[in-house]
Amino acid sequence: MAKKKVFSIGSSLSAGLEETIAAAQNYSGELRIDVIPIKKIEVDDDNPRDLLITFHDLYHGIPEADTHRERKLEELESLQSIANSIKEQGVINPIVVYKQGDIYKLVAGERRTLASILANKNDIQAKILDGRPGELKIRMLQWIENIERADLSLWERLVNLEKIVNAFAEKKGIIPNQVTITDLSNLIGCAKSHAMNLKTVLHADQELKQLIATNKIRNLEKAALIVGIQSKELKRELISECLAGATFKRLKVLALQDNVKKVMQKTIEKRGRQTVAVNFGSTKNIIVAKFILDSLLNNASLSHITPHFKNINFTDHRSIAETFKNLIKKLEKIYA
Amino acid sequence: MAKVIVNATHKGGEGKTTNSIVLAEYAALIKQFRTLIIDMDPQANFSGRYIKMSYDPAYQGGKIPPLHPDYEPDVDKDWDGRSGIANIFYGEEVIPYPTPLSNLELAPAHSVKLQEAEAVTKNEVREKVHLQLKRFLEQPDVQKSYDVIIIDTPPSKGPLTIAAIKAATHLIIPAQMEQFSIEGIYGMLQLWKQESYCRTNDNPIELVGILPNQIRNINIHRGFLNDLRNKEFTAKYVLPFEIKKRAVYTEILAENANPKSIFDLPENSSERIEYEVACRYIMERVFNHG
Repeated sequence: MAKKKVFSIGSSLSAGLEETIAAAQNYSGELRIDVIPIKKIEVDDDNPRDLLITFHDLYHGIPEADTHRERKLEELESLQSIANSIKEQGVINPIVVYKQGDIYKLVAGERRTLASILANKNDIQAKILDGRPGELKIRMLQWIENIERADLSLWERLVNLEKIVNAFAEKKGIIPNQVTITDLSNLIGCAKSHAMNLKTVLHADQELKQLIATNKIRNLEKAALIVGIQSKELKRELISECLAGATFKRLKVLALQDNVKKVMQKTIEKRGRQTVAVNFGSTKNIIVAKFILDSLLNNASLSHITPHFKNINFTDHRSIAETFKNLIKKLEKIYA
Repeated sequence: MAKVIVNATHKGGEGKTTNSIVLAEYAALIKQFRTLIIDMDPQANFSGRYIKMSYDPAYQGGKIPPLHPDYEPDVDKDWDGRSGIANIFYGEEVIPYPTPLSNLELAPAHSVKLQEAEAVTKNEVREKVHLQLKRFLEQPDVQKSYDVIIIDTPPSKGPLTIAAIKAATHLIIPAQMEQFSIEGIYGMLQLWKQESYCRTNDNPIELVGILPNQIRNINIHRGFLNDLRNKEFTAKYVLPFEIKKRAVYTEILAENANPKSIFDLPENSSERIEYEVACRYIMERVFNHG
């Protein structure tokens, strides 16, 4: 009788079926990219903005009386260069919005949108999310959007990162301080060493943060190094060297001084149980033992007990040890 | 919202048209739903079952819809009296034809016009073709006239099938349990996946499932079907029944057939039960979903 033929679907076709279904299920509704009119885009009020200049300013000009006029004019200048590139290439990365009724609320891409207005565009490519995403997702999206930007300062990155850490902590039900280096490196996809530097600087003191906020200190590694310095004077020295333009290498050399002090100040802790008895050590040498015992017994203040120790056999270790023990017992009685 | 059920697979002979026929007759006769059937296949088989298609005088072998029963040559001066679904690609009106079944109306094929739409290659024109059927079906007139719309598609992955998918609320993939058919399923899943990406959560394209069709009691059919049912990802998308290869399913398609429909068979006949169970399940999924 012929062997019963068994058929099954080939492995690569099988895998293909599986992958396709998984992708359809996981990404359903998430890859909607369309061109939307800029006039229908609004800033999300729950999303604090980093720019002061508004859509209105771009359409109608910055009012003379505007208190932030100077800062807005600076922002306008930086937007102009993006606008020029948009005129040439268009917006390469679609902005991210979510639909609310007839309006699109901005999640990420404010600069691109404002620059598009400057470039006289009426519409813009957008990835349209289904409803407002959660806080953590919004912060992550903003972070990812900004990774491409070379002009983003250390401060701007830290501000975004702090929001990510807070949102993550809230989601996990822990306090922000408890967010670990591993958490951070997984969230933003960076090496642990980088995450360590970021976490260190996030917890810098006010003075250092102020220096970063005003762009006086712009380098993450230098900032992290400075935060780690224990000694106040050394820290001050490093800061002034850093502001004067010292290289990271130079700062590292300076920082070593802190380490040396640290080693000296470190107290050596003993391991094990607390010692409550004094052990005078041991020796195999009878002559040494005799010398020590004789020295003790010849001590003037011990003259009243030396008669008890007349016949010591100095050839036998045990006998010497016994004698010593007796001596100690007698002394303990005297000095109780 | 009217439900739009599409039968699609780019492999020929899997049972798209038969399934469209049986499902349409179930909807109209048994469920008494107001049903619109749409024939997107230039072969025009679906159409030919319900109205007497004419042969296109200009193109050999091609079929065109007959003169519409409501056509009045004296009054309808700027209409030639024929109206198929392909009109949506030409900016012309679609006037559904009545069929011998009450509750069932048909937007028939027009071979040449559909073939021209299928052959569109230029990207910008193709985009227009893709969304035309959706736009047509979204019209308030259409939405309020029908409870369910059933679409038969050609064996292809071209603009006509894509147009149907873009208009669909529900998708069925009829398939034999054979090598080339499974490959056809894979291709159709790709189209479904791509379309899923673009839909919003309140307007999804539901994959009702893969319909195991023309099953015979041979190792390969059993083997492949079990395989699909046992794999974690495909399992939920394989419909929980099978349609066996039965003579009656092809006999009812013949021009002078008697019985003419599955639903002319006695209610307790195993052939009728087999397919009617499938229809009931599908319609329940479609109408109770979400």
